[in-house]
Amino acid sequence: MRPQTRWISLVSACGAVLLLGGMRPAAAQDTHVAGLTGHAAAGKPLYVRYCAGCHGDDGDAQGENAQWIEPKPRDFTAATFKCRSTPSGMLPTDQDLYNAVERGFVTTNMPPWIALTPQNRVDLVSYIKTFSPRWAGAPAPQPIAIPAETPATIESILRGREQFQRLECWKCHGPAGHGDGPSASTLTDSKDNPIRPYNFSTGSRFKCGSTNADLYRIFMTGLDGTPMPSFIDNLQPNEAWDLVHFLRTMQPVASPERLTWQAWLQTHRGELKPIGPEGGTQ
Amino acid sequence: MIERLTKGAVSIAILLCTVGVAPGSGSPMRTTGKRSEFRSAEMAAAYAAYTRSVAGALRTSTAIPAFARKYGLRCSACHTVWPELNAFGQRFKDNGYQLGNDRDSPIWQSNGYWPIAMRTTPQWHLESTTNQVTDAAPAGKTITQTGFDISGVDFLMLGTLHKDITFGLVTTLDPDGTAGIEAAFVRFDNLGKSSWANLKLGKFELDNLLSEKRFTWLSANGGFLYAYHYLPEGSANTFGFGDNQIGAEFSGHSFNGYTRYSVSLLATNDGDPTIPTGKSMDAMATLSQAWPIGNGLGPQRLGVFGYLGHRPTAFETIAGDPIAGTGSANKSFLRLGATAQIWLGNLELIPLVSHAQDDAALGPGPDKPTWNNALLEAHYVATPRFMVQGRYELTRMSKQGDPAIPKTFGNADALALGFRAYPFMFSRDGMAIHGEFAMTQTTGMAPLSGDGSGEPAPTPDTKIRSLSFMLGFDFAF
Amino acid sequence: MNRFLTPTIGALALVGVATAASDAPAARPAAGTISGTVTYTGTPPKMRPIDMSKEPSCASQHTTPVMTENVVTGPGNSVQYAVVYISAGDQPGPTPTEVVRYDQKGCQYVPHVAVMRTGQGLEIYNDDKTSHNIHPLAKVNAEWNKSQPPGTPPIHASYDKPEFIAVKCNVHPWMHGYFAVLTTSHYAVSGNDGKFSLAGLPPGKYTITAWHERFGTQSAEVTVSDNGTATQNFVFKALPY
Repeated sequence: MRPQTRWISLVSACGAVLLLGGMRPAAAQDTHVAGLTGHAAAGKPLYVRYCAGCHGDDGDAQGENAQWIEPKPRDFTAATFKCRSTPSGMLPTDQDLYNAVERGFVTTNMPPWIALTPQNRVDLVSYIKTFSPRWAGAPAPQPIAIPAETPATIESILRGREQFQRLECWKCHGPAGHGDGPSASTLTDSKDNPIRPYNFSTGSRFKCGSTNADLYRIFMTGLDGTPMPSFIDNLQPNEAWDLVHFLRTMQPVASPERLTWQAWLQTHRGELKPIGPEGGTQ
Repeated sequence: MIERLTKGAVSIAILLCTVGVAPGSGSPMRTTGKRSEFRSAEMAAAYAAYTRSVAGALRTSTAIPAFARKYGLRCSACHTVWPELNAFGQRFKDNGYQLGNDRDSPIWQSNGYWPIAMRTTPQWHLESTTNQVTDAAPAGKTITQTGFDISGVDFLMLGTLHKDITFGLVTTLDPDGTAGIEAAFVRFDNLGKSSWANLKLGKFELDNLLSEKRFTWLSANGGFLYAYHYLPEGSANTFGFGDNQIGAEFSGHSFNGYTRYSVSLLATNDGDPTIPTGKSMDAMATLSQAWPIGNGLGPQRLGVFGYLGHRPTAFETIAGDPIAGTGSANKSFLRLGATAQIWLGNLELIPLVSHAQDDAALGPGPDKPTWNNALLEAHYVATPRFMVQGRYELTRMSKQGDPAIPKTFGNADALALGFRAYPFMFSRDGMAIHGEFAMTQTTGMAPLSGDGSGEPAPTPDTKIRSLSFMLGFDFAF
Repeated sequence: MNRFLTPTIGALALVGVATAASDAPAARPAAGTISGTVTYTGTPPKMRPIDMSKEPSCASQHTTPVMTENVVTGPGNSVQYAVVYISAGDQPGPTPTEVVRYDQKGCQYVPHVAVMRTGQGLEIYNDDKTSHNIHPLAKVNAEWNKSQPPGTPPIHASYDKPEFIAVKCNVHPWMHGYFAVLTTSHYAVSGNDGKFSLAGLPPGKYTITAWHERFGTQSAEVTVSDNGTATQNFVFKALPY
């Protein structure tokens, strides 16, 4: 063999031996994301290294740090996840979990684990699925269909504003989206911990992403485990895109929607009916 | 030539005695005060100085429980085995010690949180050096010492002053009570909201992919890299890659930290304050790239680095004595190298090769001293709480500064083996049981560990073996 | 001979059918009943009036303030909304096709406890002028959360694992109810007089369990004879907190 080939063979053989030595068959919880296959057995040592400090050795959110952090870490034994592309009550897809690990959760203690290799991350996702019996034998979760986004015209934004009033989002999020609606102070999550609704005026990224499609998914699938419900039974897709466009105007970020909205407000502000109990039907 | 060597040896002895360094003391020492580096008679001072700076490198390593307390992550999240960083920790550091969750400004910390961590290592150790010239044994004898000992203490204060403004302050206390400032810097992170633009100013560690400050070796012979500290016989240079330097670093990284670069402009005083060398600058550049290949504990990384330094060779004098800070006639030296981090499952391999060349004026004779280093370090990280490691390093002179110096004079081989076992992996503090065996073999030259009498060997081709064995409790809180 | 053949065959067939029928469980008389009363001893916690002023459209539906329903008691120390069911000893029977109805009315859940079989259909109605979100906090079954604006069709759901599921509305934090998902077809919810009756039980030994959202669970062994009525009372210990 040529020396280079010999070296490559040797290194590959060493690598193979080490890899196989570290892995045990765990096909039940295999994960498939981004062309990679993750195995729970390979994910376990990674979980102990990176995750168990908050999420607990048993995945029950009883890690040593959990008592000090707010919001609390995810309890994997409940298999209830906020950021999914699947309908409320369904398990997330492997891609949803992978994205959550990669993106982290802004304004929480969950960091973006993007520096970990993709293989490490799919292995971690596989291991996380072993904490709840709900995954065993469950069919592959199906994401909701997200049709193409409609144009972000002022008409779309105004229709979205009507949706915001009709669906009573303001009851928690407040008429201006400041997280100060009448029910905001009494909200608790599914573990009875107090929780605040998203305050659009902070301009921070959403916990489940930062694009318009992510925002669409948030209110069309609901954030399971929190007070945020799914509105998919009450919104047609084009109405949902209208709502997305309106919600963007409430963030202090120079998005196209906000710029369109502010330009329109210059001359038409008086036409707006207020949002809230006196808003009635817009 | 022999006279020069003898003169040098005498000067070294005098210097060592005057600065109170007990021969064979295994405790690390700290560089203090100004040093002035000159030719001929002061070569010895230079030699002594870099010996001390090497020993200084033994102590400072950064593993920061304060970060664990601030962010609620265990040590193992950022470190393969602390203090060595993994890819997540490297990105955290590159980001200015920020996680990037909009909770990095100190206003989000509990009022009671204070960003300080301390680290020290009480130990038992054995040092033994062969072929040591003493008055009683001019042909050389073996000097051995054993006993309980303490290391210095590092005080690590690093964190954010505000979002995207990072600070670092690392002060050190030697076992004999000498204090020093290891690092003191401010860094402006994510300039223009881009991870590619960061500016650091102050005293800091160079952007070495293989970091000597955050590596897992502590003994007198194993706790530093020849590649980072070796200077050949008769050198007037003072530079050590592993020494923290004073200057400005402009650096950047890709979003996941897999591509990294830095360019720095540095003072020519090897990290010694008050600019004793006058008007001159060093420059450094690094570049590295990582690939997420394989199933290992981290991505595969490859990096290159280069350092172009200058040292003055002439000073103004008053009454015949040189005036510090008036250096001129700068002569340059070059360090070039490449290194990698290879992960095969839980096995980490770190090769490093480097090429060094000093200007003739910084050496003992008419030629440019040139040498090459190569090392391979291997860590088997069985769990975040147990690691075994080994390193083999060799230094080979390819050209001596003076043709009269034998070709192999100064060549060194270094072997180190060790383990670290952590009884707990925690989010508040940490402790490692540290066992290490290290042996260096230098041809003719005294070993860099500062053991023994510090004299060259009785004959130029005699190989001096210096051996360290240590068992310590390395804790940080 | 030919004249008697058909009636003989017919008689034999009838006997065969009768014999076959008598082998099926349904053939034995399933007329046993277990009935009783659920009461408490001690002092139960006081129920408090609910302030619905944040939701005027609901507050206006109640002339007097509505009380919380965690512990509803009646005359003679009776306990209402206790779910009494056979937890061992009976055959499940087919899943009923009827749908259990759950209403959000006047910003309250009606009934406070809805009992259903695993796999049985559940229909949730919003009878109010305000939006509600229906958020059953299942732990064994899937937890889901859906918004239901006024005037929208009922939400359909079903649960496939037995569980007692707390139900809440996040918009109206005082709304509080339960789904009791059972595998048995023999269950009852105690009325305000604390009385319950489980009918249609074949003779045999049964374990009967009473569950209350605050007082917990109690079980007892009961034997039902043919056509018999067995009595089993439950007494819960009540504490004022």
